Amino acid sequence: MPIVTPGFRYGKRLSKSRIFGGHGPGKKGTYADLLITPLVDMFVIIVLFLIANFSATGEVLSMSKDVVLPEASNVKEVDMVPVVMVTMPNKDDPTSGQVVLSGSVIGNVADLSKEDVLNIPALEEKLREMKKQYEDLRALANSADGFKGDVNIQADKGVKFRILKRVMFSCATAGYNNINFATLQVAGASEPPKAAAAPAAP
Amino acid sequence: MAGGMDLGDSGGKGKKKPLDTAINLVPFIDLMAVTISFLIMTAVWTQIGRLQVQQAGGPSDPNQEQTEQKTVPLTLLITEKELKLTAGGSAVDPMPLVSVDKGGKKKLDLIKLTAKLKELKAQLADQWPSQITLQTEDGVNYEVLVQVIDECMGAGLPNVTVSPAMG
Repeated sequence: MPIVTPGFRYGKRLSKSRIFGGHGPGKKGTYADLLITPLVDMFVIIVLFLIANFSATGEVLSMSKDVVLPEASNVKEVDMVPVVMVTMPNKDDPTSGQVVLSGSVIGNVADLSKEDVLNIPALEEKLREMKKQYEDLRALANSADGFKGDVNIQADKGVKFRILKRVMFSCATAGYNNINFATLQVAGASEPPKAAAAPAAP
Repeated sequence: MAGGMDLGDSGGKGKKKPLDTAINLVPFIDLMAVTISFLIMTAVWTQIGRLQVQQAGGPSDPNQEQTEQKTVPLTLLITEKELKLTAGGSAVDPMPLVSVDKGGKKKLDLIKLTAKLKELKAQLADQWPSQITLQTEDGVNYEVLVQVIDECMGAGLPNVTVSPAMG
């Protein structure tokens, strides 16, 4: 009788079986090779996707939950210019709608809707200050870039033109004549046809 | 060796280097992980654009005014319910702003405006201006105004002037 290694083994009948004819349930090898190729493929695809969607200008306009922007397709890229945000009043609180310039609150939409004057004096004053700061900084830096008068208006899609016209008028009076309406860019967007003559800078 | 790749261990005179070299992928994966983290952190998920408009009475280019003299002035009155287009002196039939779909849901309908602008562009040809004035009533929403500006820009009118409606 041959000497065999002690341990569990299947019966003689199965000794010639392809499946059970081996050495019984032995230990698996401890060296497990990890499949890296699909991982690298996935990484490459993610990197390419993210690079394709990368925006060099970064987030110029901060999105607020109070402002739902309308959609448009013939849009241009947003520049770093002062932003006037007009929020919509909540259903619970009708006085919550505000006009905000670069983070500081200018006025309440409900109050502004009642007034009959065309401008918003506080907004106008603040914009004049910003314009002066910009021009002083440019003068200190001896920069050739002049003041272009660009301003972004970021309003909720439900805001009425009654408020918008006052904001626009205040911007124009303060020297910000190039008004840009912020919108969400929808798929299939393209650059609009170029103007025959560019609007004059103030 | 039958049919296989020569791995260099066949016992020849010159010792060949083995061909099955493994590329060290660990630094590559590290680089990928860092790049992905950076790109995700700096990603801007909402694509925001801008529509440039001018205000009635604002500064304008004198060269543009000269070219605009030969063209037909376009004016679009936007009310809460309809759009009234005027080309030169002649007014086009008012276009309803809101349409009701099969499910009874109201939605903004600017197809007629687009079609009308296309038709006018074909009719006017050389006299087609680059500017349109949008006279907007107080009750009009920002969304409606933006959609109309977008349609005008798409129809080949890049200089959009916004002014309050008179009267």
